[in-house]
Amino acid sequence: MELIYSIFIKDGGWLTILKGLQVTLEISVLSLLFGTLLGSLLCFLRVSKFTPLKIFAQVYIAIIRGSPVLMLLMLLFYGVLARAGMPPVAVAVITFSLHTAAHVAELLRASLMALDKGQVEAARTLGFSKWQAFKLVTFPQICRIAKPVYQSTVVNLIQWTSVVGYVTITDLTRVINNIASRTMQPMITITGGLLIYLAISWLVHVIFNWSERKSQLRQADS
Amino acid sequence: MKKIFALLMTFALILMTGCGGGDNKSVDTNKVKLGMITRLNVSEENFEKFVEQVEQTFNVTIASHKPVFFDNLNSMLAALQAGQVAEISTYTSVARYMIAKDPHYFVLKDHSLEFIDSFCFALREDDTELKDSLNMVIKEMQDDGTLGKLAKEYITDIKTDGEPPAVELPHFDSAQTIKVAVTGDLPPLDYVSADGKPAGFNTAVLAEIGKRMLKNIELVNIDSGARAAALTSKQADVVFWAIVPVSEIIPADSDKPAGIALTNPYYKDKIVHVGFKADEKK
Repeated sequence: MELIYSIFIKDGGWLTILKGLQVTLEISVLSLLFGTLLGSLLCFLRVSKFTPLKIFAQVYIAIIRGSPVLMLLMLLFYGVLARAGMPPVAVAVITFSLHTAAHVAELLRASLMALDKGQVEAARTLGFSKWQAFKLVTFPQICRIAKPVYQSTVVNLIQWTSVVGYVTITDLTRVINNIASRTMQPMITITGGLLIYLAISWLVHVIFNWSERKSQLRQADS
Repeated sequence: MKKIFALLMTFALILMTGCGGGDNKSVDTNKVKLGMITRLNVSEENFEKFVEQVEQTFNVTIASHKPVFFDNLNSMLAALQAGQVAEISTYTSVARYMIAKDPHYFVLKDHSLEFIDSFCFALREDDTELKDSLNMVIKEMQDDGTLGKLAKEYITDIKTDGEPPAVELPHFDSAQTIKVAVTGDLPPLDYVSADGKPAGFNTAVLAEIGKRMLKNIELVNIDSGARAAALTSKQADVVFWAIVPVSEIIPADSDKPAGIALTNPYYKDKIVHVGFKADEKK
């Protein structure tokens, strides 16, 4: 117990861990937000009937999904954006947004393909406009179908961010590494870090479950 | 689909049976795996060749080690504790710190050749002004005994149960800032304190250099594997660097990537191998 105290709590160690956690969450949340927006746009391009845009989206998704995120991060930080003078966290957010976007685009496209087209046609026959059919029929169903995979994407994204130590960012993983190097106790420290990541994943799971239950209640009410 | 699956299974089977392993495999398995922090430019294979050359020249048995590189101390220590590597290569001062923190670590005493490593700064070749200034300040600090004093305070005299004293970096308004990438993987020379600030002997040396050069020092924490990239891409101006020069076999600049310059050394330390003895199960 004393050892755990000296590793994680003593001399404000817990505050340093919290700062690292804050950086991890900051990068994850911003990347998720921008990645989802960009991913939706990419999905729109991917299913569009205009061939050049469709090919662009296909190529983008193929390249980004096939590239290790660490390579992409290092390429942007130490190469493409090295002279831009951007803060490392901004480069990390750009990288993870680009990466998440490719995954979100594909999961949205898969959800779209799983949708019964007859329902949209029925809505259009009943006099719904294109926008109304999308808003009231297509969109809610896409959300429902995409939700479990999107949850995995969120958890994956949080885990992917653990490589940002390579670009001078002190995130949760980097803090854990620093603590292990200082205290010479790698196993306990890694276990502690793992439990924190596990807690975040569990929190994501709880949020998605809560929203699922809420939408089920709303459906039952109506 | 069935054909693709069958093809994949065949491929996996070939890989698992070790096709193409050759004679080297049996040689490698006899070698002692030695954990090391990733160098700036030398690969594990090159390092192994250097070691073999040293063995042939000096008639010693160090080539019985197979170097395994790690990007941070944490993973190297974890590998040592898990038995993935039998020993790790580090410095006397670091080994002393490790043993003080955890008595399960011990220094192996069967080395037939002593290596002394030189610590210096690596910077871009075109930063000649910075290199000259650093060399000048290092010489000043050697001559007036400051380096010796700092080494005593931050390395020799640290309490076995404690850590080196905190370092206050100087700040000069509107002065130029030198960005230094630190790994925190070499306590008590270079480590990150509990409050998240880089500290240790190297940081104390940098603070003194900043004071004498009237420049601000900005420290950024980075993984060892990304040091060379940080330097060449100008995301950092200076990184810590060390190599053991052994006659012409391992020249002083053998780990130096192209376009990188080195300052004069400011500290020397002996390389030791550290092992880990787990508690015996009762």
